[in-house]
Amino acid sequence: MIRFAIRLTVVGGREAVTRLVIIAGAVALGVALLLAPIAATNALGAQNQRYAWLNTAVAPTVKGGDSLLWLIHGDYYHGRTIGRVEVAAQGAHAPLPPGIPRLPRPGEYYVSPALGELLATTPPAELGDRFPGHDIGVIGDAALPSPDSLLVVIGRTPADLTALGATRATQIMTTAPSGCGQCYAGFNANDIAVALSVVAAALIFPVLIFIATATRLAAARREQRFAAMRLVGATPRQISLLSAVESTLAAAVGTAVGLGLFLAARPSLARIPFTGERFFVADLSLTAPDLLGVALGVPAGAVVAAGLALRRVRISPLGVSRRVTPRPPRGWRALPLVVGLAELGYFVGRRPASTNGQLIAYVTGFVVILVGLVLAGPWLTMQSARVLAGRARRPATLIAGRRLADDPRAAFRSVSGLIVALFVTTVATGAITTFVAHRGAPRTDSVEATAVHKIFWPEDGPAPTPARIPAGLGSIPGVRDVTLVHRADDGGHWLAVITCSDLDRLAVYGRCPPGARVAAVNPGLVDTPGTEIEAADLDPAAVAGLPIMSVVVNTANHAALEQARTLLENAFPRGQPPASEGEREADNSQDLVRLQQLASVVIIGSLPIAGCSLAVSVASGLSDRRRPFSLLRLTGVQLATLRQVVAIESLLPLLASAAVAIGLGFLAAELFLRAQLGYTLTPPGWVYYAVVTGGLALSLTIIASTLPLLQRITGPDTARNE
Amino acid sequence: MTALEARDVALSFGETPALRGASLAVDPGEIVAIMGPSGSGKSTLLHCLAGILVPSAGEVLFEGDRLDQLGEHQRSVLRRDRFGFVFQFGQLVPELTAQENVALPLLLGGARRTAAMAAAEPWFDRLGLAGLQRRRSGELSGGQAQRVALARGLVARPSVLFADEPTGALDSVTGEQVMNLLVDAAHDQRTTVVLVTHEARVAAYADRQVIVRDGRVNALVRS
Repeated sequence: MIRFAIRLTVVGGREAVTRLVIIAGAVALGVALLLAPIAATNALGAQNQRYAWLNTAVAPTVKGGDSLLWLIHGDYYHGRTIGRVEVAAQGAHAPLPPGIPRLPRPGEYYVSPALGELLATTPPAELGDRFPGHDIGVIGDAALPSPDSLLVVIGRTPADLTALGATRATQIMTTAPSGCGQCYAGFNANDIAVALSVVAAALIFPVLIFIATATRLAAARREQRFAAMRLVGATPRQISLLSAVESTLAAAVGTAVGLGLFLAARPSLARIPFTGERFFVADLSLTAPDLLGVALGVPAGAVVAAGLALRRVRISPLGVSRRVTPRPPRGWRALPLVVGLAELGYFVGRRPASTNGQLIAYVTGFVVILVGLVLAGPWLTMQSARVLAGRARRPATLIAGRRLADDPRAAFRSVSGLIVALFVTTVATGAITTFVAHRGAPRTDSVEATAVHKIFWPEDGPAPTPARIPAGLGSIPGVRDVTLVHRADDGGHWLAVITCSDLDRLAVYGRCPPGARVAAVNPGLVDTPGTEIEAADLDPAAVAGLPIMSVVVNTANHAALEQARTLLENAFPRGQPPASEGEREADNSQDLVRLQQLASVVIIGSLPIAGCSLAVSVASGLSDRRRPFSLLRLTGVQLATLRQVVAIESLLPLLASAAVAIGLGFLAAELFLRAQLGYTLTPPGWVYYAVVTGGLALSLTIIASTLPLLQRITGPDTARNE
Repeated sequence: MTALEARDVALSFGETPALRGASLAVDPGEIVAIMGPSGSGKSTLLHCLAGILVPSAGEVLFEGDRLDQLGEHQRSVLRRDRFGFVFQFGQLVPELTAQENVALPLLLGGARRTAAMAAAEPWFDRLGLAGLQRRRSGELSGGQAQRVALARGLVARPSVLFADEPTGALDSVTGEQVMNLLVDAAHDQRTTVVLVTHEARVAAYADRQVIVRDGRVNALVRS
């Protein structure tokens, strides 16, 4: 029986093969999209594991054996972070970090391949001079979180490192950052895995819809064939078996193709910086349970889907009868949507005090809106289709409106995945864009990006004297000014101060309040959003005698900034590295930008899939109506009129749903921002609009590709031979 | 002048000849039944007369003008504006109500919706379909659906109504009802009717019967 079923599936005519190919294609897409986040989650673990050794400072102490003096701090070059590890062996058997054959001696260092390339192409004064000694080799992949990681392992004398505040390590850390509370290098893989799961769900949902839609393609013919078999004695069980074999075959082929697709896409996937840095291709690996789960789970799911599809029709020996059309959706479906929006609106001006309270307030609000959107979709589709049909003046609009109103669930189903993706992405993009606009990386031509500062925190030791500030700073070509900010004692707290005459002379860091002579500023001088320059009650003449709090160098170009940084770093190796305000803010907003990238991936992935669903749904609808349409054509109806019917049927749900999802997404983001942060929504950048427009255009192109089918299936032959 | 005429029309589907020099003239207001066994070419002849298919040889004339020399667009417009059609089954647009289906040819011809719906309305009483205006095709019996299709074929007051096995999917009683209505409505409007059927009792409603055999009209029978 199974052999017969396979033969029937494969030689069931062009329509059956097309159906098989489309289902297999949908499954392949689904499998590839399912494997990508699974592999990405594995890659997160692999990448994070290679961060482990950078947390050696907090590695548990082991008794006996030689030790290592260890110091790690960050550095910057053109906004990119450099990991700088400085070591000194204490004994012949000191612990050895991964990726290097031996510990570098004083005056030697190892660099990562990416940093090696950078050193080779950058003037030493801008970068190379920061590392004492000479390059003795390349750090191996085992120690690199990413192929792009900028890392240097510098050999120092124990005395130097002790002076710089190094810690003593008895072993190299091997615990991944996710499992270590004190670790500072790496990331919490669990958080990103949760984000990836959301991405996976947002991508898989449209694919499942696509697979479900594909199973309806040419279903009428297939069901008639099953009815003919029932007539000659096939039992309902045998019919179920035939259906299951067809689905399993399509799913098995689709799974194999999907695996191939995933493998082919792996190098491109590795370039997506989910964690801020790209992966090694090998990181995107699949474990045996992953593969087994997908290889068995997807065909099993397809069999279940086929069984459910058959339940919608009753196949008897005398033919196929469809179950009655379900009742039209009711108005209560819009209720959760209103409740969700009301919930978010309620918290404007009533922000919950605790973090948990905020989480519950906003997350439930978003989830209720999302569920409400999916629930209300068919009802909204029906209402708008009824209005369309009721006011239609042209027959194409009338037919399309009636068809949409007739089965709004089916019409909405093909775009529901898109709705979810667009809503999630719009909320994320709206909130992130606004947040980044207020607190993110500044424009590259602003003083936040052009001024580099070194802060001398009291806990890093005594403040330097003016004589220790490198004299060469002012003579670097492109340096505009070198400014000292002093530290005043303010009743047990410190205060960074500068005279108003200096501030006014510099003109780029802000203005003193009227009448003030000394200003209390940020140590980096650059004003951060939300803070105002305040007056300090000090004598301007006394300011120059106070300890130095920071040195701020404003520059006209990148080369000058990097040279100034090199000089400052070499002069003051202790404490936080010199950086611009922009670099620090970029560090803070990196997670958000990462989320935004994931949101774009969701849109780019889900829009074409939704387009495919719509196209298959359109083709399926045409196949169902081939006789009335072809007879209409015989009676003189122009092909253009039928094309208009198809276009309206598919464009209306696609564009209307997109507009509703985007509108509600922005509204939800606005309510959240006003409630939680007191911000007003900032319109997203052109990338968001480009991605949405591009995705919609691609979807429309896919739909347009079904139009030639209309001409073919409504030709005179159809009417003659049906 | 004849309403419709085929002169030595020939047409093949691939290697298979369907018509081999068929000729037929139909007078204005006349009801002609084309009969013949399966595969004889009667439907193909109807399709050529209606401008759906273009013969490879011979001429087709409508009110004295060559129909077969018109382009696809012109033939489509002619079919839409001057001809009406009734087929065996499955011709109603399933999503539209019965009244909208009847009004469809008028809408396609550019009529305003209210006017088209108003013009469709009287046909429901006339064809015994009162109260079914808002039903969909799936909610109509075979006979009701065929009467709606008949109303649709006649609502634009066509010069010629082409009916291809209009009772083929109906039982004999319902078939007779539909044929009575068709003939009465055609006489009322002085519409010419070309009827294809293989049933003698259906052909008996016609003013004249012709028999197609092997792609030729080779017998003429007066009713």
